[in-house]
Amino acid sequence: MSTIAPMLLEDTKLEPKAGGFYRHQNFLTGLIVGILSGFIGWVVSLALLQGSNFGSDMVVTVTLTCWVIGFNAGMGTFNAIFRWILGHDQNHEDELYAAGVGQGWKRYWKYCTDHKVVGTQYLVLVMVLFGVGGTLAMMIRTQLLSPNSRFMSPETYNAIVSIHGMIMIIATIIMVSGPFANFIMPIMIGAKDMAFPRLNAMSFWVVVSAVPPILGSFFLGGVPAGWTTYAPLSVQAPPAMDAFAITICTFVISVTVAGINTLVTVLTMRAKGMTMGRLPIFVWGSIIAGGLGLYAMPAFLMAQSALITDRVVGTGFYVAEQGGTGWLYENTFWIMGHPEVYVILIPPVGALIEIASTFARKPVFGYKVMVAGISGIATLSIMVWAHHMFTTGWAPTLADPFMLTTELISIPTGIIFLCMVGTIWRGSIWTRLPMYFLYLFIFNFIIGGITGIYLSDVPADQYFHGNMFVTAHFHYTLLGGGLVGAMGAVCYWFPKVTSRMLNERIGKTAFWVVAIGIQITYMAQFYEGFQGMARRVANYNALFVDANRVSSAGAYILMAGMLIFMYAIIHSWRHGKKASANPWHAKSLEWMTLTPVPLENFLVDPVVTGHPYGYGEPDSKPVAPEMPVPVSANSGGSH
Amino acid sequence: MSITDQQMHDSHDDHGHHGHYEEGGNHHDTAQEKHRKEHMATWLFIFGDVVFFLLELFFWFYLRANNTAGMWRAANCTPANGKLGPTDEGLNTCTDGLFNPITHAIPKANPVYTIIVFALIAIAAAFVWFAEVQSRKGATKKTTHPLTALALFFVLAAIAAQFYQFQVLPFTTIQGTYASTFEFYMGSNVAHFLLALVIVTGLWSRSRLGKFDNGKWYQLHLSRLFLVWVAASCVILGLVTIFFA
Amino acid sequence: MSYEEKRDEIAEEVKPIVAHTMPFHKKAPAKVVYITIVFTIIGVLLALFLPTHMFPFSMSPEMHDAVLTFVVFTIAAAPVAALVYAIAAYSLIAWRKKGANNNEEPPEDGAPSHGSGLITSLWIGTSVVLVLFLLVWGMAELSAETAQQSNAIQVNVTGQQWMWTFSYPGTGVTTHNLILPEGRQIDFNVTSMDVTHGFWPVEMGVQIDANPNVIDHIAATTNRLGSFDVRCSQICGLYHAYMQTKGTVVTNAQFATWLASQGASSSSIQSYALSGK
Repeated sequence: MSTIAPMLLEDTKLEPKAGGFYRHQNFLTGLIVGILSGFIGWVVSLALLQGSNFGSDMVVTVTLTCWVIGFNAGMGTFNAIFRWILGHDQNHEDELYAAGVGQGWKRYWKYCTDHKVVGTQYLVLVMVLFGVGGTLAMMIRTQLLSPNSRFMSPETYNAIVSIHGMIMIIATIIMVSGPFANFIMPIMIGAKDMAFPRLNAMSFWVVVSAVPPILGSFFLGGVPAGWTTYAPLSVQAPPAMDAFAITICTFVISVTVAGINTLVTVLTMRAKGMTMGRLPIFVWGSIIAGGLGLYAMPAFLMAQSALITDRVVGTGFYVAEQGGTGWLYENTFWIMGHPEVYVILIPPVGALIEIASTFARKPVFGYKVMVAGISGIATLSIMVWAHHMFTTGWAPTLADPFMLTTELISIPTGIIFLCMVGTIWRGSIWTRLPMYFLYLFIFNFIIGGITGIYLSDVPADQYFHGNMFVTAHFHYTLLGGGLVGAMGAVCYWFPKVTSRMLNERIGKTAFWVVAIGIQITYMAQFYEGFQGMARRVANYNALFVDANRVSSAGAYILMAGMLIFMYAIIHSWRHGKKASANPWHAKSLEWMTLTPVPLENFLVDPVVTGHPYGYGEPDSKPVAPEMPVPVSANSGGSH
Repeated sequence: MSITDQQMHDSHDDHGHHGHYEEGGNHHDTAQEKHRKEHMATWLFIFGDVVFFLLELFFWFYLRANNTAGMWRAANCTPANGKLGPTDEGLNTCTDGLFNPITHAIPKANPVYTIIVFALIAIAAAFVWFAEVQSRKGATKKTTHPLTALALFFVLAAIAAQFYQFQVLPFTTIQGTYASTFEFYMGSNVAHFLLALVIVTGLWSRSRLGKFDNGKWYQLHLSRLFLVWVAASCVILGLVTIFFA
Repeated sequence: MSYEEKRDEIAEEVKPIVAHTMPFHKKAPAKVVYITIVFTIIGVLLALFLPTHMFPFSMSPEMHDAVLTFVVFTIAAAPVAALVYAIAAYSLIAWRKKGANNNEEPPEDGAPSHGSGLITSLWIGTSVVLVLFLLVWGMAELSAETAQQSNAIQVNVTGQQWMWTFSYPGTGVTTHNLILPEGRQIDFNVTSMDVTHGFWPVEMGVQIDANPNVIDHIAATTNRLGSFDVRCSQICGLYHAYMQTKGTVVTNAQFATWLASQGASSSSIQSYALSGK
């Protein structure tokens, strides 16, 4: 090891003052500055605004905005901006310090610009968010164990339903594009980091600062309006709604920044020879999802910032008495909302295609068709939003065109299935854990997809809308499809991210429990939907009791499975077997480098000569067959 | 648009090191690669902002078209029909957001202030653009510093003018959707101007240090792209508020 | 270890397993077709027999349409789902390597096929046909449902937190339990006094939001005597779950009697009952 060690940037000795103000900043200072700033905002706004119209909403908004700004200031999000203004640009040593050189495990608690650190931070955050959202789901299912349940008051129940929804949406948006589009994707294209490492760190810490407000909403009266927060109910809601909206606006900044970063990274930083036609499907998925997020998130910002002004300064966008209308909110929300479900789904699908190819030992079936399919879904998804509004009374004459665009989406979705099963077909199936999740995805997503076509049809939607059928449908797609895909991605890239092998015995136990839990929980909810049970109800007719008990039992099983999976991750992360650089004998670039991945990823610049799916080809070579002679970075004097 | 090798070399050796990570870049970035990335990122950011902007216009025209009964600017409201709350005939729209009666039609905002605001921000953008042109010609801080200082002054003036317009509006936020949307537009302007303020302050400060000398114009260029977009969106919003009130 | 050694070590590790082309099972496509047929039959049987056990009694042609659409779409989708499941299942059973679960080493490579234009075209062509079918079906149903019938009567529905109020225009009758005459098209004029509610007479198979300051229209034709549920399908705050009531479909004579018992004058009943004609 001794001669290779000096080449690793991690071991560079830095000047004692490298990093400047970053040296004094970490998660703790972020918390302290954030809380202090929020407290000052609270005191000042209370003094100035208490008793005025909309006073309590203003106080909550000001306080939480101060928290978000303060936390980020304490973390170091704004350091680079001030340094840029003052002309003290960061030098090489500062950048190395910011990338975490010489800080050991502490760099995970800092504003660290290394994309691998950011990816790992995201992975932990996603697990925490799923833990919170899952706990809320268990409380929902416990309430629904019996009609007239006294487990929670309707007020608490509604608040929990809303926050469960939004926490899960946030978690699913970042569950693959957070950890893996940050950690793995730059390595896959042969880049040394993301295009904008500081923005990358920002995207993470901004999400972190967005989480406390939405959880704080429980102490501000609770959000009574579901995750969709339809106006005008959300305009009349308690100050919890302000906290909710602040979380959304903050989250939007993070997703926008991350989307820009992903796109620019892939478009400008590919290794030599890594043409667009050689990009792994996962990379395609990441950039398409990033671009789609860039389109969707401004609509979320618009919907929620207009909601804030309605609540805080009394504008009337959504208030009928002032000439506004809830349909405006609903339209804006779903202009965001439908692309957003594909922002969630496309990255896991991309990851599953990688898994299919690696574990069937076959090239991807129809690479170009697959890319076209994903692009087709992304394009169509911006034209279908009003299918969420078939029963709202808005523009009944538009039912036919939106029915058309919605049903058209099943064509590119079918292409994704074709490419998945086409890749497996005549493969040489290696049933390691990631492959299990691919199979579960195919099983669940067929069900989620087919139940979607009933909802796309207006006459059937007139029955199923606003009913547990819809709940079951989108849980089959987002949990049964998206989250299962993300779990597959975790299993697949675990050795690269943690340098250890995931314990497959525990993992497979988790898999089966989760797989069975999903079927029981949501099949029972489909049944509730057929019977006519409305969504988001704290109480229901005795008629629905059997299905609800089955669904709750399934949910407990599902939660148990998730806990086992989380145990598998934590246990293997600490005690797992050491992983080799390429345990799956895969061919894409992320497996061609050392594990653990060194700072700047490659010891030598990779030169790509083929596509990453060359399985079974007699003249197949690794993607970058000839590791070239060290470039000046390693032999020259710059380090 | 292209950068000469000489410029690339200059930027490369900024700090005596190869520009590792410099400006959010990458170890082996040349100035040209860095420029390309930041150029692309600027355009992507503007793209996201355009989506937001289009939704603002959507809000304006949706609400305006939706309020055919004169609620847009309370056209039918008289002292007689300013009753409180919902009535048997449906909701009474001659009340404001606090259920106070609206007893007269809401007047249009004075377009003079709107024109002043967008003129000021356009002038600011023009000065940054001019500074970029000068920097491309190889001008030093002797030229760019005064120009960015003027730009900074006009951004501040635009913010001040926008806040002044808030003070002199003939209506309050809560008086119907015309008032709501108009003030939302102004708020959106202020948000953009504040971002512009951060950028132009940086340009002013950096030009004083000579950071744009010797043809290193690309930060001026990126800032100019954003500022021109801010000015353009401000003009379009302003024209909408003047001609479609 | 020198840099070169490390590099060679990595290169060794990522060296491709020498490709053995898999023996192709000649009968594989046929077997997949058999499995597909079996799965399809199961799907079709489920589609035909399950809905009667799952949906509540249909009390209007609109509800009947929803159930029929469910059955037809399931039958149309069954072969697609069956085919995907069949390919996935067959591949797993036929081509899974012995002990593949725990093998540290991957099996030999599969067939180096990059896709097939013919299959892709067939697949896309089939899905286009299916989508067109779904669309035409949906549009036909929708236009049939929205057609105005000659015997329609008007019912005004008002949602408020957290109850429903129904009134019969012209008669002065207002109720919280919806009473409807049999065999008539009911035009519901739905509005709200506060926030958005979802008016959902469940067994009628229609649904529309109640929005403040707007009147939304939805029509359903009663074709069966009996009671049905009215629920709120749009979360509307604290007691959203409790915002439900009963509806009853009665004969025309009973309906007139009931209106009279609620204090409607006979002339108003007469003109109301005839209003659609």
